[in-house]
Amino acid sequence: MRTLVKLVVITSVVMGLSLLLVLAGVSFYPSSRVRWLALAYLNTTYNPYLPNFTVWSPESVTAIVWDYRGLDTLYETTVFFLAIISGLALGRGVKRLNLKPGGDMGLSLIVKTVTRITGPMILAVAASIGLHGHLTPGGGFQGGATAAVVPVLYIVIFSVFYLSWKGVSTGRMLTMRSIGLIGIGATSIAVFTAGLLEGAPAYVFQNIAKATSPVSMPYYIHGALTSGTLWWFNLFEFLAVSAGFALAFIILMTPEADKNG
Amino acid sequence: MGLDLLVYGLGALASLLSVIAVYLALEERDLVKAVIYSAVQSVFYSLLFYLFMAPDIVLVYLPVAGGVLPALLLVLISKTERFERE
Amino acid sequence: MVELLEDYLFTIVFVSMFINLGLSLFGLFYKPHYTKKLIMLGILGDTLNVFAVFVGYRAWPSPSTPSRPPILLTYPFENTSVLVEFTSRAVDPLPQALVLTAVVIGLAVMVFLIFLGDNLYKHYGTLDMREIKRLRG
Repeated sequence: MRTLVKLVVITSVVMGLSLLLVLAGVSFYPSSRVRWLALAYLNTTYNPYLPNFTVWSPESVTAIVWDYRGLDTLYETTVFFLAIISGLALGRGVKRLNLKPGGDMGLSLIVKTVTRITGPMILAVAASIGLHGHLTPGGGFQGGATAAVVPVLYIVIFSVFYLSWKGVSTGRMLTMRSIGLIGIGATSIAVFTAGLLEGAPAYVFQNIAKATSPVSMPYYIHGALTSGTLWWFNLFEFLAVSAGFALAFIILMTPEADKNG
Repeated sequence: MGLDLLVYGLGALASLLSVIAVYLALEERDLVKAVIYSAVQSVFYSLLFYLFMAPDIVLVYLPVAGGVLPALLLVLISKTERFERE
Repeated sequence: MVELLEDYLFTIVFVSMFINLGLSLFGLFYKPHYTKKLIMLGILGDTLNVFAVFVGYRAWPSPSTPSRPPILLTYPFENTSVLVEFTSRAVDPLPQALVLTAVVIGLAVMVFLIFLGDNLYKHYGTLDMREIKRLRG
């Protein structure tokens, strides 16, 4: 009863304060024009009439994240990598159990059967979100975070030893994560290396041909639109993020071996 | 007249309910219930992001703050203490 | 009258975000348990991201045409009228890209703090910060 009174007080404080602000004329209402920088981004994100300035991707948020400000995203991937490595370092030196997955571990049979059906469906939806990031809302990190839900489900419903019996172990997840990060690094200097081999000027993190360098990544492959380096970045980021989350969950949820048993 | 009032009205309702969820998460002693209240608040924030025309952020926010982080916090609670003392 | 109602509804969202900010800061400073502090830190970061998306929002050009997310839907187009209509209605895409990075970094900090909390419990036997301050190793 007292909690209900407190909630009503807070709600009426919010509504009354906003009424006061509106009647005094100092409220904040958005304007109907955007800034010049936003107009520049929106005009050049897919523009066949300006072939030296465009990104060839109809999704402007992904174009900003991986092409216009790609260096920021590289550093964000490094920060995430450091968090996973610190988790590994803090859990080092602890002896962990290694049992065989028995038939009575985990939840009931109905739940296990439903999870066997919906688990691959979640993975398919996550891959679709991740790989279509240059055409629809989505991208590498969104797909990776959705695919990270699947190890949690399997650990809770079956058991954590079932995962390592199926082959999803710490070493393999670390390998997959390293492959993703090496892929991101290789894609970022791909156009630069091609320019070095051909003798034309090119830049690191370059995607499409600019006014000063004629080297470009192909953006239409057999009639399908893949916006240059954006598709490759999305693929490798999807691999790296989903493997990193699976690693953190396995380390956190494995029970430790007590000295007294 | 109808459509933009509907959108803004839904946004105002979602933000008021999120204030209620944050207050309940603050005052709760049982930490499992506090994590559930914070997941409810994340769902209301996702609705607010959708109504403000940002679909990329909805797709990041729903798995991260509504799925992975409450799962990690529940694992931490099960390994340490569950109830908060005075 | 209708503009006043729209203004009022938008200001409710704005003021309630400030109230959320104040409540989460209070919880971060004054609640002594480590996990409660972690929950409040997550809410604080998310509220700041909502503010960033507000900065990029654009009002509707007329009450029957909504503003749209910054994604082009008809891509092989013939004349530039599609592009002109797109840039007159679309929302600013730059704050959304910055919020994407901010969410990932907040998640990385929370994952690290969860691993650290596990280690704290193994060393001190409790997660109450007043007890830890008293024991101090």
